[in-house]
Amino acid sequence: MTETSQDMMLEARGVSKVFGGLTAVGGVDFVIPRASIVSLIGPNGAGKTTFFNMLTGLYKPTTGRIVFDDKPITGGRPDKIMALGVARTFQNIRLFGTMSARENVMVGEHARMKAGLFGSILRLPHVRKEERHVRDKAGEELEYVGLRPGTFDQLAVNLSYGDQRRVEIARALASDPKLLLLDEPTAGMNPQESDELTALMRRLRDERGLTILLIEHDMKVVMGVSEHITVLDHGEKISEGLPDDVRADPKVVEAYLGKGAGQL
Amino acid sequence: MSTALQQRRTQVAIFIVVLAGIIVLPLFFNPASGFVDDCTLALAYITMALGLNIIVGFAGLLDLGYVAFYAIGAYTMGWLASGFYADADIHIGVTGFAENLPGIHLNFFLVLIAAMVFTTIAGIIIGLPTLRLRGDYIAIVTLAFGEIIGRVAINGDEIKFSEGFPLTNGRQGITPVDKIDLPFVDQFTSLNLRPWYWVALGLVLVVLFVNFRLRDSRLGRAWIALREDEVAAISMGIPAVKTKLFAYGTGAAFGGISGAFLASYLNTVNADQFQFSFSIFVLAMVILGGLGSIWGVVLGSVALTFINYRLIPDVLNDVPNKVGLDFDLTELSFGIFGFLLVVMMVLRPEGLIPERRRQMELEEGIGAGDTELELVEP
Amino acid sequence: MEAASLPATRPKPLRVLQDWLSKYGLIVVLLAMPVYYGIQDLSDDGNLTRLGGNIVDGLSNGAIWALVAIGYTLVYGIIELINFAHGEVFMIGSFTAAGFFGTVGLTAGMGVPGLALGLLLTLVVCMVVSGMLNVMIERVAYRPLRNAPVLAPLITAVGFSFILQNVGILWRGGSQEGIPDLINSQHELFTIFGLDITNGDVLSIGTTVPLVILMVTFINQSRLGKAMRATAQDPEAARLMGINVDTTISLTFLIGGMLAGAAGLIYALYQTTIWYAQGFTAGLIAFTAAVMGGIGNIKGAVLGGVIIGIIQQISDNRIGTEWTPAIVFAYLVLIMVFKPSGLLGEETREAG
Ligand SMILES: Nc1ncnc2c1ncn2[C@@H]1O[C@H](COP(=O)(O)OP(=O)(O)OP(=O)(O)O)[C@@H](O)[C@H]1O
Ligand SMILES: [Mg+2]
Repeated sequence: MTETSQDMMLEARGVSKVFGGLTAVGGVDFVIPRASIVSLIGPNGAGKTTFFNMLTGLYKPTTGRIVFDDKPITGGRPDKIMALGVARTFQNIRLFGTMSARENVMVGEHARMKAGLFGSILRLPHVRKEERHVRDKAGEELEYVGLRPGTFDQLAVNLSYGDQRRVEIARALASDPKLLLLDEPTAGMNPQESDELTALMRRLRDERGLTILLIEHDMKVVMGVSEHITVLDHGEKISEGLPDDVRADPKVVEAYLGKGAGQL
Repeated sequence: MSTALQQRRTQVAIFIVVLAGIIVLPLFFNPASGFVDDCTLALAYITMALGLNIIVGFAGLLDLGYVAFYAIGAYTMGWLASGFYADADIHIGVTGFAENLPGIHLNFFLVLIAAMVFTTIAGIIIGLPTLRLRGDYIAIVTLAFGEIIGRVAINGDEIKFSEGFPLTNGRQGITPVDKIDLPFVDQFTSLNLRPWYWVALGLVLVVLFVNFRLRDSRLGRAWIALREDEVAAISMGIPAVKTKLFAYGTGAAFGGISGAFLASYLNTVNADQFQFSFSIFVLAMVILGGLGSIWGVVLGSVALTFINYRLIPDVLNDVPNKVGLDFDLTELSFGIFGFLLVVMMVLRPEGLIPERRRQMELEEGIGAGDTELELVEP
Repeated sequence: MEAASLPATRPKPLRVLQDWLSKYGLIVVLLAMPVYYGIQDLSDDGNLTRLGGNIVDGLSNGAIWALVAIGYTLVYGIIELINFAHGEVFMIGSFTAAGFFGTVGLTAGMGVPGLALGLLLTLVVCMVVSGMLNVMIERVAYRPLRNAPVLAPLITAVGFSFILQNVGILWRGGSQEGIPDLINSQHELFTIFGLDITNGDVLSIGTTVPLVILMVTFINQSRLGKAMRATAQDPEAARLMGINVDTTISLTFLIGGMLAGAAGLIYALYQTTIWYAQGFTAGLIAFTAAVMGGIGNIKGAVLGGVIIGIIQQISDNRIGTEWTPAIVFAYLVLIMVFKPSGLLGEETREAG
């Protein structure tokens, strides 16, 4: 690596996670340059989601250090890490079921809002204004990710699968993150929706300067959008580099063998 | 849009008419009648149940020790507005009888504020370490705290700040307690219950207002989010413990207000009242009405108050005897509430007046999932 | 501002202290009372007889709590529910015993063989009644809510506990009731190391130990026991392997209830007073024991029961019976907040 750490959005050093006897992630080094799209791939159970969970504070790493935007976040609380600018989506969609799409996105803005207990009870002018602003912004984000305006106030759980994924991304975007973590965002999408999502990711990077870390099984998406790919297998980093290098790496082919190696 | 506005206007109109009716209601009854008495109690319990509703209904934290806040509120009244600390001689904002009595005598509103402060502090002390636990553990720990406070109330005469200043008066309780004393109004007495009724109604209106405002706020959204999926909620930047603590502290404060009012109204702080069964009495109000449903909780509180203070002792009490059974129904009132809890949870968990979201949650099994499990990690 | 409040790597000494506390803190807290009063006894009397007496009584009481605690732990292990009505199942066990004494005419003056036979019969009856009652509670109050939000069955459990208390009131009235001291409970049977061992002590420990051994053997050896353990590990996998999960859960409630019934009988004989509210306190004490040992862990429940019995006895004897519940509950809070995994529990529960 030639870059200095100032160019890095995120730097993870020797990060591992052990569950009981099982090493889900074992001593992984990982960096994400600013305003780039990088991918984390690997067979099922490789430890990708576990790695995400450590970046976002849901799990405390057993060992290692994580620095985000020059601030140490190792073992920090999820809500604080989120407030610093790390937002995510979930592999198994986790929208709030009794809320509309818009309300879901408004929850994503929680950390950027100020209304406190007394302000909310008295509904002071600044609270009203903030609430209106947040409501509008939620609409904007939903539009940005490509949800049809008629569906904003429907219950999120009643939306199509693809739309639910979009709402999750909008919810993550609502917090104005610097780094966006997407856990298999195209799972369950048809090819057209996947293409739209790929385009969306590029727009997010180019228009908003967002940095994106992507976990993805769909190799077409991964190869099409990533500037850099890291491959995990059994919790270990087995390969990394440019898409073409990774594609040609025999270790990667071996890890994926029997799991659609042909696609690579 | 305009129909929604119209609907809202109609709702407000209905509310005003009903409220007017409720305000004048006691005028049609003897000022010292049992009915006005029951109504006043019902209003005090609505305050309490709406407080618990914020904790259990909004934030989804099962608090089995709510009685702790009732106790602390009541003792605040006992400490600060009675002759209990006869060696002290502090009078603030009181006129009438209390002015010349020994002891600490603070104006009712000052006591209410003190009760809020004390219960909120207690809520924070209890909540801060516990609210990060699993839901069922929270239930048991709050229960244990409630029991501890009940025991301290009963044995508190052994705990002395200094000579003549014990923590509580033990089983003897603190009696009498100052009656409410408001400027420009005659001293409240037990012969005319109407003013008590109106003060209690005022408290209910305040608590209702707070309930509605909080439900539809940033905080209300955060509570729902935490209740439905804690992992997703904290990943979206909601600080779990702090947000739950807001619910717990607010709910606690209302328990304290109601406790202080009841101490004055009942003219005693009776240590034997502060039992687990009281927590369940209030919880049953919330569940009967509908968890999280504000009007439901109001209905549930009124219903249970009248069942407990009127229907069971006066109407149904003799029924077992009449059919040849040898017991009074009053002995069994808590069995009846227990039965109610079981029946409601099994047959109609959304309560009498379901809250919109809660109903969806139950119908679609949202929030029933394993989200909590995934949080537990080394 | 936010960044500063994030924990960087903690300074090493603090981490070491924290690790040490999380490993041994609970043990230290549990030893505090016995050690403190032990030292006091040594300096006051020059020996440990008084503490020893506390411990003997505590063991006998603790044996009862252990039996009840196993019921909590088994049920929690299998469906992750705090069976709040379990204390009342124990209470009904005591009431059944008292009722049965009267029915079959057991009296204190009877000869030993007749009494022994009668008591054995009572034991069976209490175990069956409490066991069936527990199974019934699960059927009526918990099973319909298996897919409901997590706290729903806990609420019905609380409701059921009140119903059963009222059954108790209807059955034997609302006040404490003395019952015949059939075994001459306080009679000094023998003395070792200056400690008096009474009939009650022997009965309590002499009944608990075989029952626990029997139950553990059953769970470890029998097919049904293996089904129980499989279901506790992973209900879904158990179902796929052809285990009838509903039956297995019922069986768990049956065993837990039976042990509570036995505990009810021992309690009645040992204390010779019973009342409808005994189940509430006993339930919380036993639950404390279960959590202390590590919920889901049978050995832990026994260990926790014994420890809490001793603490309770010391507190009764030194601080005053009126404070004992508050002290036990304080332990409950401390353990649940600072060491919810207990003494023997596993640190993690695997994610579903
Ligand atoms: N909370 C947990 N407790 C115990 N083991 C866990 C936990 N979370 C993950 N694991 C284990 O860690 C390993 C890695 O899981 P992880 O979910 O990170 O894989 P993944 O790469 O995201 O796979 P997939 O592509 O299927 O999503 C798996 O063996 C999994 O069973
Ligand atoms: Mg994954």
